[in-house]
Amino acid sequence: MPVGNLARMVAANTWRSPRHFALSAFGIVIGIATFVLFLASTEQVAAVLEKIFPVEQVKVIAPHASLLGKDVSKKLDDSIVQTIENRPEVKQALPRMALAFPAFGRGDFEGNDLRFEVGGFADGINAGFVDDDERIRTMFKDWDADATDKNRVACVPPRHLPDEVIQSPGAPPSNTPKEVKTDWAGNPIPDEPETPAVGSAGSGSGSAGSGSAGLGSGLGSGSAGSAAAPPPVKKKPEKYFNPCPNPDEYYCDESDNRCHHRVPVVMSPTMIELYNSQFAKSHGLPIADEDFVKFMTERGGLSAMRFSIGLGLTTIAGTNTAIQHKPRRVEAVLVGISDKSMPIGMTAPIDYIRRWNKDFLGDEAATAYSSIVVTLKDRNDQAVFDQWLEDTLDLRIEDSLGEKFATVVFVVRVVLLVISFVIIGISAINISHNFFMQVTERRRELGLLRAVGATRGDVRMVVLGEAALIGILGGVMGIVLGWLLAQGVDWASAHYLPRFPYKPTTWFNFRWWILAMGLGFAGGFAVLGGFLPARRASNMEPATALTQN
Amino acid sequence: MAAAQPVVRLRDVTKSYGTGAGRAHVLRGVSFDIDPGEFLALVGQSGSGKSTLLNIIGGLDQPDSGEVEVLGLDILRSDDGRRAKQRNESIGFVFQSFNLLEHLNVLANVTLPASFTHAKRDADARGREALRRVGMSDLAHRRPGELSGGQKQRVAIARALFASPTLLLCDEPTGNLDSETGKEVIDFFRELNAKDGVTLVIVTHERRVSSVAKRVIAMRDGLIVETTDDALAVAGGGPS
Repeated sequence: MPVGNLARMVAANTWRSPRHFALSAFGIVIGIATFVLFLASTEQVAAVLEKIFPVEQVKVIAPHASLLGKDVSKKLDDSIVQTIENRPEVKQALPRMALAFPAFGRGDFEGNDLRFEVGGFADGINAGFVDDDERIRTMFKDWDADATDKNRVACVPPRHLPDEVIQSPGAPPSNTPKEVKTDWAGNPIPDEPETPAVGSAGSGSGSAGSGSAGLGSGLGSGSAGSAAAPPPVKKKPEKYFNPCPNPDEYYCDESDNRCHHRVPVVMSPTMIELYNSQFAKSHGLPIADEDFVKFMTERGGLSAMRFSIGLGLTTIAGTNTAIQHKPRRVEAVLVGISDKSMPIGMTAPIDYIRRWNKDFLGDEAATAYSSIVVTLKDRNDQAVFDQWLEDTLDLRIEDSLGEKFATVVFVVRVVLLVISFVIIGISAINISHNFFMQVTERRRELGLLRAVGATRGDVRMVVLGEAALIGILGGVMGIVLGWLLAQGVDWASAHYLPRFPYKPTTWFNFRWWILAMGLGFAGGFAVLGGFLPARRASNMEPATALTQN
Repeated sequence: MAAAQPVVRLRDVTKSYGTGAGRAHVLRGVSFDIDPGEFLALVGQSGSGKSTLLNIIGGLDQPDSGEVEVLGLDILRSDDGRRAKQRNESIGFVFQSFNLLEHLNVLANVTLPASFTHAKRDADARGREALRRVGMSDLAHRRPGELSGGQKQRVAIARALFASPTLLLCDEPTGNLDSETGKEVIDFFRELNAKDGVTLVIVTHERRVSSVAKRVIAMRDGLIVETTDDALAVAGGGPS
């Protein structure tokens, strides 16, 4: 029987009895609606969890060990990175290096002078590893490595904390007020004596009209050199004109009195959530979601995401790290949001961190990594890799909360899938029951088909085709129903659920393969349900079928 | 001059239904030939085995034993596909209860056999031609539910003629028709046999049908008596 003729006959037979169609398709519609809904929901939950806890890689760390209060943990260096990279199950091994000495950040956000600790909340990673979007791919690199940078011209850095004015180089300063001396952290200091002491060397610049969304830790404003500072005196701060070419991207670095590109950093989505859920509320600042931050960072000239870092400075009293370099100010710019960033803090290209660690702590700190991010070729190899790591290198994989959550999501997904499969299975039984009745009711018709030339196979295909069509139509209706329910849930979530960290804009991710599987299962289970009735129909003796009433 | 190959050749055909003590022997060793162009009437009381014999000739039922050869095809030894192909291309069936599909219109009912062949080209044209021959051209797009009994049977005959069959098997074709319509149908069959040379086998109770047949085979209890003149007497008579 030609396929086209079969399709026409199947369609005609299906349309003629809406009641039979409704009875048979009902279960499939419900089953597939729950199937796609559950799968899309767990897919979205898994995606959110992976955003919070990246699980595609494992993190190799050295177990902490101390002797008489001194850290004697195994050092993660280039040789270990190389050894790991040579393992057959390893696809890539990327070291991360923590900023190992105190640092202090300061920026302006919506008129708020934000100050925050950077030391302990910053690390570096290979630039090529962070490639979330075009802006990050372009901006996230070691700009100082380019010795031929024509913008690296001589300049005069600000001596004290100014209100920096971003404008074209060479433009004359206007209305320069009387200079007010402040330490780097912005506290006014007495006019006498003027000493570039630790804690006031260089000047931060709260970039004009901008700030560091989400980076504020609000750890106070006291700096190492200003513990006994008098109450703030309201004085108009001086204005400083950034003399560098392309002042949106370059700043005058006090280390060599030359213009340098701002240090590019990325932040994890976790920081935005922390900002929104904790910081913004307590400080009366606007809520910023990830799309908003991306929008802001992609606006090129917008100074919103610039801030200063005081290397060697801290907001925390009692810090006694033995640094070997006088404090220094650098300017940074947030270039994007990336899951590859450290979850609580910021991440810069590793070459910056390596240089700073070397300058402030020496060679040892510049060669020790804080962890190594390992991407395995197959996640099933993790057990083997884990064992080798422990036996051979005396290292271990950091316990991943994400892994545990992923397991929970997997189990939940399996349970939900079992539920939807039970519903689809019951609907297949329902289809089978309906088709058995249909075959009995239509036996004269089936006998006639045999009389005019249908083979047993033709009759079987007609019945199976009807079951498949009911399954596919039921599947499409189920997908539509599932999608409508998802829209309803999302609407209710947006209107009635309070905001909470990582609250998604949608609870469902209808990936194409979910829809394809929904249709496939709908057709497959329907055909399965129609199999026995089809066999009975094809085995019917036409003479008997034609004479029975 | 050599005799023409028979259209149907039956030898010692037996058929029974059921098992054990309840076993009913419907055919008890039937043998005869049907030659090309014959107009044969099978008559007999209910349960005599005539419809079973017709179904076996048409390949709709299988005998328990014996030999059945229809248009050169050994019915017992051929596969389902070849038997189906023969029904599709060379044999037409007309039933007492018409067996039209209510969800299809008249033309679609007539062209139904074309669904099972790749030669669907011109199916509609051939269907209309078959309808024209039975005088139903104007009702091609009506549903069977809108037709009278006689019109339905004419549609059923058009469906049987759709593939221009060599052999037409009719099971009580006038059983559900009034006498006037029944007469028209019988006249049509006679003309079909005379002009087109279609071999006709009709199972009937009715004397007027058997009276126009060229040969009458009477059956009783699964056995046949072949006689043209006293067939009705052997079979126990029937309505005139």
